[in-house]
Amino acid sequence: MMRMPTGPGETGKVMEDAEQEAARRAAEAGQEAVVEAPVDSEAIEAAAAARALIRGRRQWPLPKQADPTAPLLTVENLRTHFKLESGWVKAVDGVSFRLDDGEALGLAGESGCGKTTTALSLVRLLPSNARIRKGSSIDLFGIDLVPKTEDQLRRYRWREISIVFQGAMNALNPVRRIGEQIAEPIEVRLGLTQDVARKRAAELLELVGIPRQRAAAYPHELSGGMRQRTMIAMALACDPAIVIGDEPTTALDVMVQAQILELLERLRRDLGLSLILITHDLSVIAETCDKTLIMYAGKVAEEGPVSRIFTAPRHPYTQKLLGAFPNIHADRRSLETIPGSPPDLRNPPAGCRFNPRCPAAMDICREVEPPEVVYPDGVRVACHLHVAGRDGAVGVTSADVVGWHRQLPVIEAPGVPAVASAGVAEPPGPGSQP
Amino acid sequence: MSPSYLGRKVLQAIATLVFVVILNFMLFRLMPGSPERILLRNPHLDAQSIAAARARFGLDKPLLPLEISVDPPSLKVNPDSQFLAYLQTTASGDLGLSFEFRGESVTEVIGVRFWPTIILIGLAELIAIVVGLTLGSAAGWKRGGTLDRVGNGISLILYSMPYFVIGMPLIIIFAAGLGWFPTSGMLSPGAQYQSPIDQLLDFARHLVLPLATVSLGLIGGYSILMRSSIIETRGEDYVTTARAKGLKDRSILRDHAFPNALLPTVTVIAINLGYVVAGAITAEIVFNWPGLGTLTVDALAARDYPVLQGIFLLISVAVILANLGADLIYGRLDPRVRA
Amino acid sequence: MSAATAPVDLRGERWRLRVRNARDFGRRYARRTDGVVGLAILLVFVVLAALPNVFVGALETATTASGTALEPPSLTHLLGTDGLGRDMLNQTVHGARISLTIGLLATLITILLGAVIGIVSGFRGGRIDNVLMRLTDFFLILPTFVLAVLLAPIILDIVGDDAEIAGIKAKLIVIVVVIGLTSWASTARIIRAQTLSVKERMFVDRARVIGSGPGHIMRRHILPNVTNLIVANTVLTFAAAIFTETTLAFIGLGDPFAPSWGQLLNAAQAIGAPSLGAWWYIVPPATCVVLVILAFTLVGNALDDIMNPKTAGRR
Ligand SMILES: Nc1ncnc2c1ncn2[C@@H]1O[C@H](COP(=O)(O)OP(=O)(O)OP(=O)(O)O)[C@@H](O)[C@H]1O
Ligand code: SF4
Ligand SMILES: [Mg+2]
Repeated sequence: MMRMPTGPGETGKVMEDAEQEAARRAAEAGQEAVVEAPVDSEAIEAAAAARALIRGRRQWPLPKQADPTAPLLTVENLRTHFKLESGWVKAVDGVSFRLDDGEALGLAGESGCGKTTTALSLVRLLPSNARIRKGSSIDLFGIDLVPKTEDQLRRYRWREISIVFQGAMNALNPVRRIGEQIAEPIEVRLGLTQDVARKRAAELLELVGIPRQRAAAYPHELSGGMRQRTMIAMALACDPAIVIGDEPTTALDVMVQAQILELLERLRRDLGLSLILITHDLSVIAETCDKTLIMYAGKVAEEGPVSRIFTAPRHPYTQKLLGAFPNIHADRRSLETIPGSPPDLRNPPAGCRFNPRCPAAMDICREVEPPEVVYPDGVRVACHLHVAGRDGAVGVTSADVVGWHRQLPVIEAPGVPAVASAGVAEPPGPGSQP
Repeated sequence: MSPSYLGRKVLQAIATLVFVVILNFMLFRLMPGSPERILLRNPHLDAQSIAAARARFGLDKPLLPLEISVDPPSLKVNPDSQFLAYLQTTASGDLGLSFEFRGESVTEVIGVRFWPTIILIGLAELIAIVVGLTLGSAAGWKRGGTLDRVGNGISLILYSMPYFVIGMPLIIIFAAGLGWFPTSGMLSPGAQYQSPIDQLLDFARHLVLPLATVSLGLIGGYSILMRSSIIETRGEDYVTTARAKGLKDRSILRDHAFPNALLPTVTVIAINLGYVVAGAITAEIVFNWPGLGTLTVDALAARDYPVLQGIFLLISVAVILANLGADLIYGRLDPRVRA
Repeated sequence: MSAATAPVDLRGERWRLRVRNARDFGRRYARRTDGVVGLAILLVFVVLAALPNVFVGALETATTASGTALEPPSLTHLLGTDGLGRDMLNQTVHGARISLTIGLLATLITILLGAVIGIVSGFRGGRIDNVLMRLTDFFLILPTFVLAVLLAPIILDIVGDDAEIAGIKAKLIVIVVVIGLTSWASTARIIRAQTLSVKERMFVDRARVIGSGPGHIMRRHILPNVTNLIVANTVLTFAAAIFTETTLAFIGLGDPFAPSWGQLLNAAQAIGAPSLGAWWYIVPPATCVVLVILAFTLVGNALDDIMNPKTAGRR
């Protein structure tokens, strides 16, 4: 329903102009053919080379059905809903993104916006009341994981995608020694003997800065930081392509937080890992990630290179989020809070889900869901203030998630270290002592 | 396990034991009605043996080793007291004489009934632990599934049935009706056995129904306990970790959920094992099984207090030891309490 | 509209809140099929227990028996007769009254003891807590059923087998007291834990600051907050009490003139009904025992899941 004009006034006038403009553009975008983004063939080649380099150092071959030239992970139109008696919670509702070899993607957004659900959907570690809806696709090396049965999917867990959970105290089995817990997937999933697995577990512990003798310790005998390191060592056990860190540093003190992040950063560089880092701490993303994806109420608000998003946020929500976050750029006194609270995901508002809280909301925002557009600098935004055809922005359909990234030199060829037989010969770097 | 944990648990057990002994003493000496009325009300004793018993129990001596009086304030120490005498006789295994059994010693009376109970309840516990824990964990793991609904329903019904409610229908159907098993006893009365094997077979035939009764009665409780424990464990983060590791469902249950879910059940099972000695009193009655359970009821009917007192002491000791055992096993299974 | 708002009707507001809570509770309970089934079974038995004479006439005794010994079920005796020719339907329905009454009284004693000890222990803390919890631990470890078997005859010997207290058979009172004395410990444990957490909350401090005594605080602040737990626990205790009563009666500690279900089964066992194949002597009381205990367990579990702060919301 159209909002009744409140009467003449300066702000009202401005808003009306912007609205008309946006509506006109939206209409044009519908008619016009989508402008093809210029293709930077050099960048594509560089990316392919880097990809080959990283995949070349894998210790275990790619999955059988893998397409060696396919991107590492492309998620398209992911919709994960939870069934409650009172209705379906649309926790993740049409999320698309792509992760390349060696890349670090930071996932941010208010509590409850669907970050964890997005990550857990990848390997389907969802609660029993969750459903991944039709039309979602999760392609790992070009293999769609969505239609896989639980038993088929199991093969990709930990070997290709492993997870470092939040509370390491509870994520480790309290009655088993940490060495055993690290060795378990090596033995079971890679089929190595117990001796080799134990040895590799000890090496992994050293890699994360825990003396190998501590392999015999039980989780409760370790400090919080050491437990989190153990989780990381465990996540590396099968030399996975992707490690997901779901708030891996919350509940740790600042010093330990910094150590853990440094460790993740180093491992990514040395082992050529891809990282999905979920955190409330935007400065963590700024420091460790290449790309960031800002979610709001189960949808992508904005996504793109960290350097762009943190300096020039385009989505009103991102702007608010950065404003709400104390960092060196912000004057602490002017720290903003985002008024209002996230919507009930059982019944999200029509149009843009952010519209009840958005200072720039227009009439169209209450009716039409904003389409995603991508700018030449690689930033993707879903907001009616950003219209295809203006400032070089290009309309995207989810099918373009792969295409519009091609133009980016996504990967800096990492300095891959010599990998010993167990893949963990690298001694722990300085400052990683527990 | 640290020595301090061990020491604390042993101390606790000893303290409880002392408490039980004192309670036992109080129940039979401090009750109105005098020790004579309760302890020596024995139709089978002549004056001479009553005098002997009096002397042995020290019934002529003052009750307590210490007597405190307020008016006039004084503190009297009795080097010779009933309490000390009681401790002495009890410690030496002398529990007095039975009223009912022609003046036999309580220790002997109890001794005869000890093994039938241990065999019956011991085997039943074994069966119930295996079946109950398996059923409970399978049901809880697939909560809401068919096995859960049916299994939990059956467990709840079994849990609501005293032993005799299970045993009596079994007799009606399988003994009185089908005639597959004898209705009562442990061996056929007056049977002449060709060989020990025959005797064993006869024993086994008598054992089936009581064993089934006690096992069924225990399975319900164990299964319910294990089920809720597994359900609680199922939601733990380390189970999600195990899933994320790509382990098979069965390995997750066996290697991660079950060992943790077992912890709270260990205590209950161990305490239950203490009751092995108490026997399933009502099950023994129904099948006329010559164990401690029937002994208890016979002694009860005859108000044979020395025997009852002896049984209570024996059971208390067994239960206390079982508790201690539970704590020690728990300490082995859970590294967190070892520290 | 004027600036001065009407005084808020606090009492009415609180009442409305209570109604809403009750309705909310009702809705949640109604969703528990097992709880509803249990409640339905209990209702049937409560009605039977309340008006046994209306359904089956006065309790038959050996002299007023309406049939001959051990008649199988027929049209005149729907559930057959017992060893003395009494109608089993008559006996079983009257048994409901006796079993439920003993169960209720024993439960009240258990809960009263458990709640008082739990609240005092949790609230007072310190040495009182220490002593009370030692005692509780002791009773938790003690083979209480055997203790009950031991206590009952001793007490009966002291008061005399056939004594009556306030017109009620001493035997029944002894059973009630013995069950209560030996089964309060786990209730005390649960209530104490809840008391501790309630105590942590602010308002107790505030109430103390205002100057109310500990007794007042326990009654007015702690008790209301542990009521939920007490209610759920009461129902589960009821199941246990009936179980114990039935068992004590079965081993011969009941009153033959007040035939509870356990007492009926004791009589059946005494004349060897199982070996005689007289199933009708056994099945009616046995079924009733199982149904009632099951029903209490179902209701108790449902209440526990809904009201216990620990388990609520886990589903
Ligand atoms: N099992 C479930 N059933 C119903 N709703 C759920 C379930 N799990 C999560 N949700 C809902 O889905 C939404 C997304 O949850 P999710 O855990 O993914 O958020 P998040 O972004 O990770 O939040 P946080 O930062 O707090 O970890 C939330 O609104 C949450 O309430
Ligand atoms: S964020 Fe949403 S509400 Fe705000 S301007 Fe953009 S589309 Fe409109
Ligand atoms: Mg989360």
